[in-house]
Parts: sequence; structure tokens; C-alpha cells
Amino acid sequence: MSELYFKRPMPHGGRLVERVLKDKKAAKKIADACEKAGAVYEIKPTLHYKRGVPVRNVYREIMSVCYGFFSPVEGSMTSEELESVLTKRKLLSGWIFPYPILFDISKEDYQKLGVGAGDRLLIKLKGKPFAILDIEEVYEIDPAELADRTFGTPETNPEVVKERFDDKHPGWVIYRSHQPIILAGKYTIINEPKFKEPFDRFWIPPRKCRELFEQKGWRTAIAHQTRNVPHVGHEMLMKCAAYTGDVEPCHGILVNAIIGVKRRGDYPDEAILEAHEMVNKAGYIKPERHVVSFTLWDMRYGNPLESLLHGIIRQNMGCTHHMFGRDHAAVGEYYDKFATQILWLKGIPSYGFDKPPTEIEGGLQIRPQNMREFWYCPHCKEMAYSESCGHDKEKQKLSGSLIRGLVAEGVQPPAIIMRPEVFKVIVKWWKKFNYPFVNERYVDYKEKELEVEMPDLD
Amino acid sequence: MEYILEVFLDENRLSKIKGTPVEEKIEAVFGGELKVLRVKIGEELKDELLKAFETARIDSRSCITDTPVAFKRALFDAIVEKKSLGEEVVKAVLEKIDEIKEAAAKEAEFLPAPEID
Repeated sequence: MSELYFKRPMPHGGRLVERVLKDKKAAKKIADACEKAGAVYEIKPTLHYKRGVPVRNVYREIMSVCYGFFSPVEGSMTSEELESVLTKRKLLSGWIFPYPILFDISKEDYQKLGVGAGDRLLIKLKGKPFAILDIEEVYEIDPAELADRTFGTPETNPEVVKERFDDKHPGWVIYRSHQPIILAGKYTIINEPKFKEPFDRFWIPPRKCRELFEQKGWRTAIAHQTRNVPHVGHEMLMKCAAYTGDVEPCHGILVNAIIGVKRRGDYPDEAILEAHEMVNKAGYIKPERHVVSFTLWDMRYGNPLESLLHGIIRQNMGCTHHMFGRDHAAVGEYYDKFATQILWLKGIPSYGFDKPPTEIEGGLQIRPQNMREFWYCPHCKEMAYSESCGHDKEKQKLSGSLIRGLVAEGVQPPAIIMRPEVFKVIVKWWKKFNYPFVNERYVDYKEKELEVEMPDLD
Repeated sequence: MEYILEVFLDENRLSKIKGTPVEEKIEAVFGGELKVLRVKIGEELKDELLKAFETARIDSRSCITDTPVAFKRALFDAIVEKKSLGEEVVKAVLEKIDEIKEAAAKEAEFLPAPEID
């Protein structure tokens, strides 16, 4: 029997990247040396290139790199690596990776800093030492070109891209809003940020997550990507996708929320995490089989590309499977609704994948579980799976947007589409922020506060 | 392609359309737990709405969602006034777009949370 068991996949690239210096004395010495050399940079949020509102904070990428979520990426990409990612979606080492990861600064800041290749830069967050960047290369980018090449166009990627990316696409805007000077090199965190409530209890970096799976005896675990509070359709997706496994259903479900700058109309990060937690607290999926966690990342909404990043993150966290639904990590109608599933089932040659990402050299080991849709069937009188239910003329689709509409109008969603305990969590954070969804005030609050406090290094 | 604007009905709204031709068009969904009116529009009006409201999006059911509450309220009022679910109700609302945008801007700052047990 044991030969049928699935093994926990290795981290992407063969080993977990962990670039966190724990020795406070050594960290202080490094920080002081940088201060003395004047090589100090305080992180600034990336602002929308037209509207000036925050769209990204690079601290989230530094955290995700240094704690191994993005293994084997170790820092800000060199020009050669960037070119490789944009043309082949592969790092120079040959491991697949979908997105540019860059430390960008303005020309004015670059001139003020006066640093170059071979220098070490101290990166501060909230006025305190946070990380260092060992600069290997300094180069210039054209942000507009970077944005277009990152996502592609209907002409260059006709298999899945349906519309040209523009100002309405938050991921395109993030790259379009990058500053033009890139400092490339490895990051090391020298002063670990402390997560605030409620983020602190959901922070499970890859090493810790793999240990947790061992403690729980989870041989198999399926990842659930989220940026939303769960409705019953999400819950059914989790439950049904978890029936896959090896000789028995997956032992666990890892909910991994993407936490970062959100679009107006999304739910606050705090509500997303606690609402998912409520699914297990209220017993809809028992806590022994359900863990909620998060990754720091200002979501690029790149559908198939984002799914690759999700596969990498969750493989690094130790998951054996990843569920992918319709419109995975998508916004608008830029992509085919099943672009992610096309990638994982057949590949997308124009993005560099003539086969699925699990079948190419440098690819992933995590197994995709491609799911279609769940809807309410008035005939079956239950939430039904689209490929099983034969009453598709009677289907009643539910969506996060439908529920947002109800919430905004003060109508409690029926229990059949949203658990009342989950709605209570929404209301709890609604009262805190005086608004149920992300609005500009929340975006400003989040940018000022972030998810962390910075301790003194002394 | 056809796009849908949904207007959810609570007791108050139900009373306002009682006895009108619109009442017959009420749909009950999700096991009868939710009552809704559906206004169907074409590409041109859909584009106008997406342009007017930055948050608006189209979901997997081809429904235009995430429009301001002020817009939904005005849409319901127009339905009551015109006793119709045709495109003309949306056109009537769009005539008052500046007023709606002003109300929507205030809403973007504060929405009262419901009191639930």
C-alpha cells in the first residue's frame, strides 16, 4: 500500500530559502556599518502612476522571499534573470517562476544614495532597520514595457489573453507604477517584524508549515487560494477538492490567503482571515483538517501566471495538491475563464509552457486539482457541482460579488449561501472600519499601519 | 451579449411593487430565501455603467455587480416609477448620474453596520 502514498514535495528549487538573520548583535553591526556608509533606504509604498494611491509595498515581497514562500528566489532579480522570467517564465537556474521580483527606486533616490554593485544597502521599514540588500547590479527598466511583457497581450498570448491589459487591471498597474531604477541582489532580513493581531496567529512560513503538517500527521494536504471571505460555494470547493488524495482523501486543507493591497470592494484582510478561521471554529470543516494561513503579496491578478506563483508558494509550504477553480486569481475579462486550468492541464506555449508546469524541467511537483463550478440547484436542493448536477437549466450561480451586493444593501445573505457565523465576522470588522469593504480610507490605513510592527534592533 | 442588474427585495421594497406588473416578475432564488428583480441590458449600457462606476464589475453570471448602493436604490426607484424592468429604467437612472455619484462618494466613507445577534 505504501507505494501508493504521495510524498510531501520538495521545496521548489530543491531547498527552502531562509534568509533571516536571528543574531541581533550581528544584525546591529551590519546595520551600523550601512548607516556609517550612508547606504540606508526607507521603504516607500509604490503609488499608482496616475492616481497616486498605494498599490504595493515591497516589504511584502522581501518577507515572502526571505521566509521561503518564493523559493528558490533569493532577492531582487538581475537584468538577465528578469529577461529570462519575461521570456521563458524561468529563473536562470532553470526553475519556473512567473513574475518579476524587483527592488525599484526612483532616479532621484538612486542619485542620493550613490550605491552601486558590490555595495550593501540597509532597508528600513517604519523607520527601523528591516533588511539588507547586497547589490549585484543596478539597471534601468521601462515600467510600461515591464507591465506589458509581464502579462502579455492578445497578440502574443492568444491562447488565454482576451483583452489588452490596462489601468483597470491592478497587477498591470503595479508593474506600470514601478520606479525605473532596479537594485538587484539578495535580500536578508536582519530585524524580524512582529505581526499584529489577528495576523500573528495565521503567520505560518514554509518551514513552520511543513513542521505543522508533520505534527498533524498530514501526509497529504490540499491548498486553497483565497482573497475573499468564504461563501458556501468556497466551502464546497474546499470539501470536494479535498476528496482527492492518494489512497484516502487529503488529510488536510491549507487555506492560504494573499494579504496585501486590495481593490476597493474587496473585504478587509482581517475579515478574510477570521472568516476562514470561522469555517473551522463553527465546525463546517473541523479544525483537525483545516488550517488558515497567509502569504504577503500585493496580488497581480494574473490568472494562469498567478496560479503558478500559488503552486510555488504552496509546494514550498508542503502541500501535495492545489485546488484551482474558475477565474482563478482573475479580475475583469482579460483572460479566458479557465486559463489557469488550461495551463495546468495542457500548458500555454506562448508563456513558455508547451506542457503542464508539472511535466516540464524545472517545474512543480504539487498536483493540481482542477475544479469547475458549484451552484445552488433548486431541484437537488443543495449546493451542487456543475459537472455532476444534471439540472443546469435551473442552476443558481452564486458569486462573491452577489454576496457583496447583499451585504452593501444591509441584507443578510441567506444561510444557504453564506454561513451566519461567517457573516458575523464580516460585521465585526465592518464595525471596526465603519465599512464592510476595502475603501480608500482602509487602503491608506493599511499602508500606514501595515500588518507588522517593527521592533528596535538594540 | 445580455447583462443583468439584480435588485434584491426586502419587505419594504416588496410593498412598493405590490400590485404592479413588476410584482409578477419577482424571482425567488436559493431555495426561496432571496427575492430579486432582474433588469437586462445590452453592451452599450453595460459599458456606460462600467465607465461611470470604477468599482463595477461583471461576475460569472454576467451580472453587473459592485455598483454603489446609491445606484441600486435609484434603480429600484426607477423600476417603481416606470413599472418596468426594461432598459429605460437604467437610462432614467443614468440621467441623474452626477447626483448618484455624489451620494456614492459619501457612501464610500461610511455604511452603517447591521445589528445582528
